[in-house]
Amino acid sequence: MSEPAIGTEPMGTESTGLPLQQTLRRLFRRTEFGLLLAIVVVIVLTALLDSGHNYWDHPAVSAINILRQTAFLGVFSLGAAVVIIAGGIDLSSGSVIAFSGSACAILLTLLAPEEMKESKNLSAGVITVAVLGTLVIGMLIGSFHAWLITVIGLPPFVATLATLVGLRSLGRVLVESVSKTVWRSAKTQIDISDPTFRSLTTHVWIPVAIFLVLAAAVWLLMSKTVIGRRLHAMGGNEQAARLSGINTDSLKWLAYCISAVLASVAGILYVSDTTTANPQNLGRGYELNAIAAAVVGGCSLQGGVGTITGTVLGVLFLRTVIDGVAKIIKTNAEIYEGLIVGGVVVVAVALTQLRLARTQNKRFLPGALGWVTILNLAILAGAGVMVMSPTTSMAPTVLGAVVAGAVFVLLIVARYAEDRREKIKA
Amino acid sequence: MSATLPLITIEKVTKRFPGVLALSDVSFEILPGELHAIVGENGAGKTTLMKILAGVITDCEGRLLLRGEPVRFTGTRDAEAHGIGIIHQELNLVDELSAAANIFLGREKHNWLGLLDDRAMERAAAQMFIELECNISPSQLVRELRVGDQQLVEIAKALSLETDILIMDEPTSALTESEVARLFRVMDRLRQRGVTILYISHKMDEVFRLADQITVLRDGKKVRTLRRAETTPREVTHLMVGREIEAVNLAAERKPTEVVLEVQNLSLPWTGHARGWRLQNVSFQLRRGEILGIAGLMGAGRTELLECLFGANLELPHGRVLLEGKEVRFRHPAEARRAGIALVTEDRKRLGLFAHMTVRENITMCTLDQAATGGLIRYRRERGLAEDVIKRLSVKTAGTEPSVTSLSGGNQQKAIIGRWLLTKPRVLLLDDPTRGVDVGAKAELYRLMDQLCRDGLGIIVTSSELPELLTVCDRILVLCEGRLTGEFSRKEATEQRIMEAATMRGG
Repeated sequence: MSEPAIGTEPMGTESTGLPLQQTLRRLFRRTEFGLLLAIVVVIVLTALLDSGHNYWDHPAVSAINILRQTAFLGVFSLGAAVVIIAGGIDLSSGSVIAFSGSACAILLTLLAPEEMKESKNLSAGVITVAVLGTLVIGMLIGSFHAWLITVIGLPPFVATLATLVGLRSLGRVLVESVSKTVWRSAKTQIDISDPTFRSLTTHVWIPVAIFLVLAAAVWLLMSKTVIGRRLHAMGGNEQAARLSGINTDSLKWLAYCISAVLASVAGILYVSDTTTANPQNLGRGYELNAIAAAVVGGCSLQGGVGTITGTVLGVLFLRTVIDGVAKIIKTNAEIYEGLIVGGVVVVAVALTQLRLARTQNKRFLPGALGWVTILNLAILAGAGVMVMSPTTSMAPTVLGAVVAGAVFVLLIVARYAEDRREKIKA
Repeated sequence: MSATLPLITIEKVTKRFPGVLALSDVSFEILPGELHAIVGENGAGKTTLMKILAGVITDCEGRLLLRGEPVRFTGTRDAEAHGIGIIHQELNLVDELSAAANIFLGREKHNWLGLLDDRAMERAAAQMFIELECNISPSQLVRELRVGDQQLVEIAKALSLETDILIMDEPTSALTESEVARLFRVMDRLRQRGVTILYISHKMDEVFRLADQITVLRDGKKVRTLRRAETTPREVTHLMVGREIEAVNLAAERKPTEVVLEVQNLSLPWTGHARGWRLQNVSFQLRRGEILGIAGLMGAGRTELLECLFGANLELPHGRVLLEGKEVRFRHPAEARRAGIALVTEDRKRLGLFAHMTVRENITMCTLDQAATGGLIRYRRERGLAEDVIKRLSVKTAGTEPSVTSLSGGNQQKAIIGRWLLTKPRVLLLDDPTRGVDVGAKAELYRLMDQLCRDGLGIIVTSSELPELLTVCDRILVLCEGRLTGEFSRKEATEQRIMEAATMRGG
């Protein structure tokens, strides 16, 4: 029952078994492998459960859809991962997306007011300048974060919370004042119908290619360079990093700049995709999806731990789950998105905790909190079944109640099992 | 052995931590009302054993019997309910709370409305401080107290539990002589009340003044339990170390040459503190090929001094530091590293180790640039660097790739020293390098220091253990409350003289 004590000899546990076995065992233990497996499982389940047979009948369309969504979310999730690995947190990316998207539209408007007013085509030069300008703005936002954190001494949570709230409002102010001068009326959004700008996203492979190139670059930075190693070191133990003569302030500057610039790239892509820059609604809540993807991908919010491959797979996993549920539920699927992201994060992180806890004989339903949790999970399960059940069969309410009752009984049994195990041990 | 029933029986207790066997099959008995001293070197397992007795560590192999009944504590509260209190070696106080609030932390007094009754707590705390013969104000924030006073608060906290078994884990490490004398008077009073005391120390004079019985631990094993009347300090020391302290003349034929580091009137301000200075007018010289020791009580400014020399303090020190004759003023450790100064920090886990990384990554942390071209790490070259260090310092590890936490404390320390040797320093600062390192590895570290010194390095070393400084140093400086209060050559230095200088107050 008891596991061999960890590291009583320096060899640890990996020294046993054949080389092939070792490699396999190490592979299975990796988050990346688990995610890959989970992605395959989700795809297979969706293919089986989807009554519309989308994955069978239109595999290419489905794949393109998932890849597209993955590319959009992935671009700024990379930034979230870099900051998290470096031991910080960036809550601002949703607002940075909205602000930089608006900034891009504003730059286009200022550079070519006549064309924008009359929805004429823009020149490639104007678009290039606007895009580059937007990226510079992203860098400025990242630098501002770094200044707040390293010089003023704000905790990253507070610094980026401030811009999360502030930037969206600033974007709105700017869009209104610019539209007042150009269109002579205050608008809350700027529409861009230029085909060249839209072509950034009309071909599915462009955002995907942008994402893959950026992912490769960030992967190279994080796992092959001196800077990447130092970011990991700082994330794991900032004090020790500083005392090793590592300039932690400039590393933070870099990390927050990467995050903000990548969010700006995403902002440009979103505006190109939706043909409109609306600072009020664009990217609302996306920062949490990015953090969720990084965490599902194996990044620890304590810092120092995490990989870019894991994050990319985390994004892909999130999108396949969201897509799968949409395919199965069909109508009104987008209202489930938050629920799915929340559930996936809890389950993914809980699984790693469970693996650790099994060796420590931990109790999961202890004391009074345990009873409330049993009730909680039963209600959740019942409600989930109720809303997901096809209306053709039994009345959904009845089905939900039955499931809730079953889960309730099951968890009570589990609790008693825990009690008994504890008694036997003592 | 004795007719009285033992109060506590420790039976075959074994405790493993990742990488170390902290306690191995330890058994002995503690009789009611006695003062039982537990002695051993750093890393012998004293503290681990006490943490098990006090419910801080809840899982271990073996059995504990209290008054003949087997017990297994679920936490410190449980142990307190069984009548066991502990005074921790490290201060476990909340800086931002008052002395009184700290004493009653977790058992706050409240009125009939359930609101905190600060007045009652402060009254009780004041009573306790009177008993301890010290004049700490109960409403003062712990942050504002001297380290010695903080330790007294910690002691008051344990006394307020009024347990009949009290564990004291090196309670005198931050106290001055007069404070120690007061504490001993308090302990005498406690014993008259019938309290059983477990006293952990490695100071022979304290142990022989106080104890009825002495249990010696070494490398996690019990060596022997002796009656004080039937033994001598010499025998106990011998049992603790396991052999005569070897290499007494480690420094014998070392010949320090030219001055490599000179410190003139170094002062470090301490804003918001009554004393005003963490360090005040410290001046000294360090020569190539010399090991300079810095002694002092906890809180005397040893760590601050080394941090100043390394540019690691957030506040800039006043005064001049000359490295090889040129004035230097480091604002960041990176500058100090480039100039050829290396610091191996005191708190290895918190300030030195990258616990989430491998042995290789830990060793090459400061010198990755050497293993990289254009910012890209060349793994073979990096591995080569790590392997060189492992071989040169004979670090015991299964290669470069295991996690650094799989190494024992001594080998982790060697890996960190190796990290800094790769930077080819001219001055090596070692802040209590043997803390939490077992005896065998300690001797190896001494030999390593000697070797590095002979290779022309100037070394400054601090230690909380005087015998260690007396063993390895050519010269010993003594700090007391941030000021230099003594300087002894190897010939002049004795524990007695150093302690006198370290507890010099006022002036």
